[in-house]
Amino acid sequence: MTNIKTFTTTQVGSWPRSREMLKALRAFQKKALSRRDFDNVADVEIRRTVHLQEKAGLDIIVDGEHRRESFYAFIADKVDGTRLMSLADMLDYVEDKAEFEEMLRTMDMPASAVKNPTCIGKLSRREPLAVNDLKFLRTISKKPVKITLPGPYLLTRSMWVGALTGKVYRNHKKLADDIVKILREELIDLRDAGCDFVQFDEPVLTEIVMSENCDRRTFM
Amino acid sequence: MLLQGDYAKLIPALKPMRIDQFVLEYATPRAGDIEVVGSVLSDRELGLGVVNPRTDTVETPEEIVLKATRALDFYRPEQLFLNTDCGFGCFASRSVNVEDVAFQKLCSIVAAAETLRKRFG
Repeated sequence: MTNIKTFTTTQVGSWPRSREMLKALRAFQKKALSRRDFDNVADVEIRRTVHLQEKAGLDIIVDGEHRRESFYAFIADKVDGTRLMSLADMLDYVEDKAEFEEMLRTMDMPASAVKNPTCIGKLSRREPLAVNDLKFLRTISKKPVKITLPGPYLLTRSMWVGALTGKVYRNHKKLADDIVKILREELIDLRDAGCDFVQFDEPVLTEIVMSENCDRRTFM
Repeated sequence: MLLQGDYAKLIPALKPMRIDQFVLEYATPRAGDIEVVGSVLSDRELGLGVVNPRTDTVETPEEIVLKATRALDFYRPEQLFLNTDCGFGCFASRSVNVEDVAFQKLCSIVAAAETLRKRFG
């Protein structure tokens, strides 16, 4: 982006979620809460998050990702051909269970806590990934804003579950082609909607660069 | 697999990327010395991670100023962004940090930026 100043300050994405927000998210996922009621809860959280950033004096504002299951799993809400699965759900499809369980231990997380946007069909963008988040953010802050999106390496690595995805895509590369296409379209839409900054998150890039074995899977 | 040591092994992957800014963790000691990235990627901006969202200890503005000053060996002030290492609430059912600590950490970043602007423009 074009710098307006020196030492520009910003945040990298998510904000601690309140008990109310987590409750609403779970209820919405179980269809016990309407989208409108869910959005009402999220809107309040996002307003508070933005207010705190402005109070602290940050130069570029984020929405705190309150509407998202996680920084990448929310893709399942927006993209056809996906299914949000808990890691416990996925145990049935994992080839090397010992390695999988070791990974969970390493991450120090209960299997039920992580949800993965598994690819189970041909991917297509059902609705914008973040353009609506940008529009809402614009209504509550005059400051430059940043939208965060999961990067293509992270998505390809996490969405690929061989037993399910392999029926639709020949290999990781074919899946990646569609993921990149979706992210590219979203980036262009965000630009056209006047987004100041788009950040792609790639926390597993290390693993992809350093491990030749493409089948090793990482969930963040 | 967590990267052990600095970003050296990632440089061949990062260098050809057609992006404006690399946003990298530097609040954790694991990130290593800024020179590894600064000496080869300073043709682009750097989002310098200066606070760690996974800890409860609030970094002081002085610590952040020190870290950013070191980065100025490789970057111009307008190329240098100050940010958190990652988000404050990485997973749906487990927030990494409580809001009050998160807010204090943002305040430290802003205070550091003000000092740096006075010192370096």
